[in-house]
Amino acid sequence: MEPQLSWYLALSAVLFTIGVTGVIIKRNVIAMFMCIELMLNAVNLTFVAFASFFQDVIGQLFVFIVMTVAAAEAAVGLGIIIAIFRNRESLDVDEASILRL
Amino acid sequence: MDTAIDIALKFAAITVAFVVVLLVVAYTVLAERRVLGFIQGRLGPNRVGYGGVLQPFADLLKFILKEDIVPDKSTRFIYFLAPVIATMAALMTMIVYPFGPEIRIPFTSITIPLVVTHFDIGLLYVLGITSIGVYGIMLAGWSSNNKYSLMGGLRSSAQMISYELALGLSLIGVIMLAGTLDLAQIVDLQSGWHGTRWFILFQPLGFVLYMISAIAETNRVPFDLPEAETELVAGFHTEYSAMKFALFFLAEYINMFTVSMLATTLFLGGWNVPFIDMFLVRGTLLFGLVSALGFLVKVIFFLFMYIWIRGTLPRFRFDQLMNFGWKFLLPLALLNIFLTATIIYFFPNL
Amino acid sequence: MLALLFILFAGMAIGCGLAVVAQRNPLYSAISLVGVFISLACLYVTLAAPFIAAVQVIVYAGAIMVLVVFVIMLLNVEQEERGRNRLKFLVPTAVVLAGVLIAEVAFILFSVNNPTPAVSNIGLTGSIGTQLFTRYLLPFEITSILLLMAIVGAMTLARRGGLLSNEARVIPGAQQLPRSLVDPRAAPDDLRLVDTDSTGEAARLLGIDQRNTQKD
Repeated sequence: MEPQLSWYLALSAVLFTIGVTGVIIKRNVIAMFMCIELMLNAVNLTFVAFASFFQDVIGQLFVFIVMTVAAAEAAVGLGIIIAIFRNRESLDVDEASILRL
Repeated sequence: MDTAIDIALKFAAITVAFVVVLLVVAYTVLAERRVLGFIQGRLGPNRVGYGGVLQPFADLLKFILKEDIVPDKSTRFIYFLAPVIATMAALMTMIVYPFGPEIRIPFTSITIPLVVTHFDIGLLYVLGITSIGVYGIMLAGWSSNNKYSLMGGLRSSAQMISYELALGLSLIGVIMLAGTLDLAQIVDLQSGWHGTRWFILFQPLGFVLYMISAIAETNRVPFDLPEAETELVAGFHTEYSAMKFALFFLAEYINMFTVSMLATTLFLGGWNVPFIDMFLVRGTLLFGLVSALGFLVKVIFFLFMYIWIRGTLPRFRFDQLMNFGWKFLLPLALLNIFLTATIIYFFPNL
Repeated sequence: MLALLFILFAGMAIGCGLAVVAQRNPLYSAISLVGVFISLACLYVTLAAPFIAAVQVIVYAGAIMVLVVFVIMLLNVEQEERGRNRLKFLVPTAVVLAGVLIAEVAFILFSVNNPTPAVSNIGLTGSIGTQLFTRYLLPFEITSILLLMAIVGAMTLARRGGLLSNEARVIPGAQQLPRSLVDPRAAPDDLRLVDTDSTGEAARLLGIDQRNTQKD
């Protein structure tokens, strides 16, 4: 049988949940960033699945925009991470939870 | 979906392409050593076989039989993964290039196109796979646990991602002219008129930019600071020996071959041989073979240019290299796009 | 056949996704995330979105993750150790709550009305390009401005102040300084020399505060 829409949505939900779990569990800020990217990709999969099953190209255009925004966010986010590392010498979010050096 | 026969045919096509690529690359290595020797006033290797033609097989035997050294404190999984990624990324681009036109086997009515598969996003696929090839070099530099490797790996990957931009942008002029991303259709658009429709005549600036970016992308002289022997021992593949080094070596030459094939397909008309229509009929086996031979001749011309440039030019320093890529090639590529778009808008003649 | 491909790529995506979360070395997490991106690109191809698949490989796997791996290598990030001062039941609680979330979403999803997928050509480059440049031009232009803002922001964040670090001290005595250190407008490889006659003059040219120098 052909893969149904609900299969793709289920896969997207599972990936999103794995990303959320990663953000909660991980202590390293770069690993948390990677789990956020995983969540964004799960949402991208939902958009593309809907675009394919409802024959509307707007889903794919939105994925294009989301990818661009994710690239911009990656650049700025990694710049912030490097600045944090220069000041604190450590990439641990538990230690950085108090906002003083 | 396809039947089993179609899948078997596809496998046969992939095998043929693979064998052709490996043979051409092996003899490119030999040709490089001999041509460099002639440029530098000496003979290259000419002992093994007549004039050295069995040298690649001797090299292969040497690589297989050498001792495989693994550094002690390296990260084992990534150390083994890096040459695999580099070689896979180099080989995966082979399937979109059209080696020749559709040929009809005589006495039957089977037509087989001389391209392994037909993507409608062929050019984007090639650019994507080239981006994946950067990982092989970065992970090799990191996992060797050696400061020269790390420096070489980081420099090499920074250079590759910088020149990927100029590479992609210089190809946009060709895409605008052709109106399609499919490589077989781009070659079809350049046929007829005996070679005056080749895109190099319409995109000279794009061609020059593409060649420079391609040489930088494949880490060759004059852009090979990250792996030069006098600078960084051997760069990112310092700690690799025997078969894994052979894989990196192979990946570099296959990248050269890929880039030359892309230049031939996009700028020099692919398998179109000028003046062939006066002698042969389209669609016959002989036409197909002569066209494929013409394709090979053009690719060999580009490989010879690579070797010639290696024997002639000194290498860039790393900051000069990055300066050149970002501040000179990138604005020129954007200017090329702008000019091409303007000319297409006012003179829609092609 | 298509279902087999879906199961293969979905399994790969979920496997690599679990590896991203479960691995303690951030470099292995990054490689697993590249695996997720590539398997999602293959899924997009089966969903008649070849352009988006190619853009996913080029942008996500080929540019963003290269940047992340660069940062991991530059900062020499080590493995995570076991936490000292965190909730003891954080990991089991997270897994249980994740299970609850998946159960809720599954209940909603499997009561959805399944439309029949038709073979479509909406994902071809030409059709995406047409829509992007005519009907949806405004989001496209705003996205390009967003990228410009990101470039300027990243450059501002990564810049170090000045050419010398805060700990720099001047060597006492008359000396010759390279012009690239003294003149902010010179090229970085400009090694023509500038003569200085005393420590104070060298300190003044380099921008080092001499009172701090003499304190230590």
